[in-house]
Amino acid sequence: MSFEPNIIAFLCNWCSYTGADLAGTSRMKYAANIRVIRVMCSGRVDPTFVLEALRKGADGVLICGCHPGDCHYHTGNYKCLRRFLLLQKYIEQMGIPKDRLRLEWVSASEGRRFAEVVNSMTETVKALGPSRIRQVVETLA
Amino acid sequence: MANEQKPKLKLAVYWGAACGGCCVSVLDVHEKLFDVVAAADLVFWPLVLDIKYQDVKAMPDASIDVTLFNGAVRNSENEHMAKLLRQKSKLLVAYGSCAHLGGIPGLANLSTKEELLRRVYFESESTVNPDHVLPQPQVQMPEGELELPVLFNDVRTLDQVVDVDYYLPGCPPQSERLVEVFMAIATGAPLPPKGSVVGANEKGLCDECERKKSAEKLVKKFFRPYEIQDDGQTCFVEQGVICMGLATRGGCGARCIKGNAPCRGCYGPPSASPDPGAKMMSALATMIDATEPAEAAAIVGQIVDPAGTFYRCSVPASLLRRKME
Amino acid sequence: MEQLRIGVYVCWCGSNIAKMVDVEAVAKWAAQLPGVAVARDYKYMCSDPGQDMIVKDIRELKLNRVVVAACSPRIHEPTFRKALEKAGLNPYFFEMANIREQDSWVHEDRAQATHKAQALIASAVKRVAQHDALDKRTVDIHPATLVMGGGVAGLTAALEIADAGKQVFLVEKCAQLGGQVAGVDQTFPLMNSARQLIAPMIQRVLAHAHIRVFQNCKINEIFGYVGNFETTLNGEKLLFGNIVVATGLRPFDPGVIPEYGYGRIPDVITSIAFEQMLLQGNIVTRAGQAPRRVAIIHCVGSRNPKYHPYCSRTCCMTALKYANQIRSALPAAEVFQIYADMRAMGKGCEEFYARTSRRGVMFLMFDQHDGLPRIRPAGGEPANLSLEFKELLSGEEVEVPADLVVLMVGMEAHPDSKDVAHAVGVSRCGNDFFIEKHPKLDPVATTTDGVYIAGNCQSPKDIPDAVSQAKAAAARILATIKTASVNVEVTTAVVNEELCCGCQTCVKVCPYNAISFLPDKKVSFVNDILCKSCGTCGAACPTGAIRCRHFTDQQILSQIEGIMTFENEVVA
Repeated sequence: MSFEPNIIAFLCNWCSYTGADLAGTSRMKYAANIRVIRVMCSGRVDPTFVLEALRKGADGVLICGCHPGDCHYHTGNYKCLRRFLLLQKYIEQMGIPKDRLRLEWVSASEGRRFAEVVNSMTETVKALGPSRIRQVVETLA
Repeated sequence: MANEQKPKLKLAVYWGAACGGCCVSVLDVHEKLFDVVAAADLVFWPLVLDIKYQDVKAMPDASIDVTLFNGAVRNSENEHMAKLLRQKSKLLVAYGSCAHLGGIPGLANLSTKEELLRRVYFESESTVNPDHVLPQPQVQMPEGELELPVLFNDVRTLDQVVDVDYYLPGCPPQSERLVEVFMAIATGAPLPPKGSVVGANEKGLCDECERKKSAEKLVKKFFRPYEIQDDGQTCFVEQGVICMGLATRGGCGARCIKGNAPCRGCYGPPSASPDPGAKMMSALATMIDATEPAEAAAIVGQIVDPAGTFYRCSVPASLLRRKME
Repeated sequence: MEQLRIGVYVCWCGSNIAKMVDVEAVAKWAAQLPGVAVARDYKYMCSDPGQDMIVKDIRELKLNRVVVAACSPRIHEPTFRKALEKAGLNPYFFEMANIREQDSWVHEDRAQATHKAQALIASAVKRVAQHDALDKRTVDIHPATLVMGGGVAGLTAALEIADAGKQVFLVEKCAQLGGQVAGVDQTFPLMNSARQLIAPMIQRVLAHAHIRVFQNCKINEIFGYVGNFETTLNGEKLLFGNIVVATGLRPFDPGVIPEYGYGRIPDVITSIAFEQMLLQGNIVTRAGQAPRRVAIIHCVGSRNPKYHPYCSRTCCMTALKYANQIRSALPAAEVFQIYADMRAMGKGCEEFYARTSRRGVMFLMFDQHDGLPRIRPAGGEPANLSLEFKELLSGEEVEVPADLVVLMVGMEAHPDSKDVAHAVGVSRCGNDFFIEKHPKLDPVATTTDGVYIAGNCQSPKDIPDAVSQAKAAAARILATIKTASVNVEVTTAVVNEELCCGCQTCVKVCPYNAISFLPDKKVSFVNDILCKSCGTCGAACPTGAIRCRHFTDQQILSQIEGIMTFENEVVA
């Protein structure tokens, strides 16, 4: 049976979660590998959440927010971007392929784009193979 | 005197993968040592007393009232002693950063055992080892068999091998804090719940730090401490120098800051922080003064070693625990 | 802590969910999750019987937490929270799992969709166990209203509210009121005078006892929250409880379309300029002559991915209006209606189209994407200009002579729409129109309480629809002013003063200036009236001292735990 990754996705309520809902009302089809956690703003996403998801065995973590300049709370997405850049650098240093983590801007009207992002992320993570992080963390070598 | 009626506490101090600094911090209580000695019998302390392993093995279980175990668990001997002392102690305290969070030895989790041994025994510039001899756990010599502890690939914190009652953080812990904790135990004061961090503040170091802080926390460039003309008064972070104090418990008296050095995070994260470095990364990234991705990436690029910077004393205790291979 | 008694309800949503998710099996599985006291499946959870089922279970089975797996929480979270309240349970002890919009509607493999539903329910069950009771908060509503924009929508909203006896501040960035309608001669389809429509409105607004008009003014920043907004205009502080954004759209500049030569070739004019000619009663070319042939080109800047993808709604009917007006003013002139599609929606419009087509107007169809008419000077015979294109009805390449070409320019967002959006806290869509709360069910409210949108700024529309939206917004506002108070979100951030070390990282993080530093206590403080619950400060705090209610670290981490525990078990 081929590898089906588990991808945890943090979606911001006003743009990307709404865009994901729009993909649904438009009956667009996309890969079934993401598990969504709703936050009010992508600025709520703490690197702790991402690390916990990876530690618990998520093969990938996707964060979606509003396009720069369009954040419902004005600047939350900029903070998310900067945290993402530093976090990605850290996980790469820890031997984790940086593409297990992804940040995308999806607006409330971009149902199609959301579906494409999910499919693209799923393909990328599939190619990376299952994450060994949980196994390594839980086994003291 | 009242003390003479009360039986003295049995106190042990042991070191795993350690530098000796924690043991020195116990000695550094100076004249308070007399109070300690008045209240306690030192039953095991390799640095100071000539009590043997066999003597410890022979002690009844839970007969040592308090063991201060410092140093990380790096090899099979450290692990064995941790388990033995757990068995023989009522209260086992992870003393110092190494036992608490993995400490500086914990940085070995950014390499593999093979990489480390290769570097140390083959590749380092002053080593001459043409036969590529490596230390072995067992070696047969004409005189008999020699044993060495097995070096673990992963440095462990104390609580990753045994049940720990309390954590007393610091690299090393502040001696005054040790005395407070010890006297609390010795006088039978009610102790905090098992698993608590003691001898440290609940609040982050900024509360103790005397430098001037403002709301102007915007960083356009990160600097190493030697690259700035530190005015000795302004918050380090506001001068672009990474100071872990924001995300680190206070209780150390801000002695590094008082020495005009930024905090390294040795006291570990406060209670609401599941990972020692993640919230610091989040706070610091928030402060970066850029909205364009390229500019933000360039400033992030100035932090050359996130693992070493944000997890200097705590890699084994972090959520990722070690580098993936 | 009291023992958890969670009720899990898995909705069929008719067949919307059930056809792709095995809802019965999922409910059975959910029943054995730790903490779950009861798990049921039902056809329509949002229906009265569905909600009554929850209320009954809370009362009889002593449930203290509820999870509903159904549609998006953006639709029915308020519905189910009300059900909890009805049963006497705090409404925040509730969580939804979105297994419709983000599951059954988007996946094609039943096994995968069912598995995903389970993971999402596992997540919700773990999360809801971490929820805290939160108290509702009501705020008073200041009875004044700010109306931004003095076009037909803004004037309508202002009059509707002021006529009910409530104060209105009307702010218009131009010197004159009336917006685009003030520049119109006659309106379609009945060919009434626009002046007679808008001029009385303007007069009434200027003379109204309850309306203060600010012309040549722009709003910079608005502070506050629903019921309690404030702004400073001309040095004066204005307080108001609600806002109507009616800032409209502007005409598209056809200078960017190379085929039309606007700005280079004389006598190629926009519909705006043509409207001015009609107002002056004088249709003439640059040379001052009455044109013998007039070509009207539709869809300029609209319905074309190179310019704007959307339809600007009013241009087709306006173009037909011009055909009629030219026909009446210049009986001998030839009129060429060069269109891509004829959009004649609206009351009386199809009939108007039919009447116009019987007045000797020549209708020629062009390809909106690849076949824009190329306009070039033609030297005078038979006309000054020539338009060349492939005519789609006949399939032939044609050359249309014209003395005057009218470009039916579409509408587009103002360049400062971004500033307006930021000032009031509304989002913009891909075309920079302001986004309504719900495209079908709530077209005038926005996701920011107390801020309404009306007219073109929401999307291009005609006068009847702009007026409808303005009156709808006014009616909503008058209702809240009457009840004098409104409920607001309580999921705000709060600083734990035992943990806050006073680093002040959070203070400048808040876009609403809700966080301040208290020097005597050496801790930060969140004004939970200004806080809009985004949670950015929570993620910025280096010690976790800031707690974002209803989106705490523990709650979010428990969702991760719920999902991954389920996924890891299944693999094992």
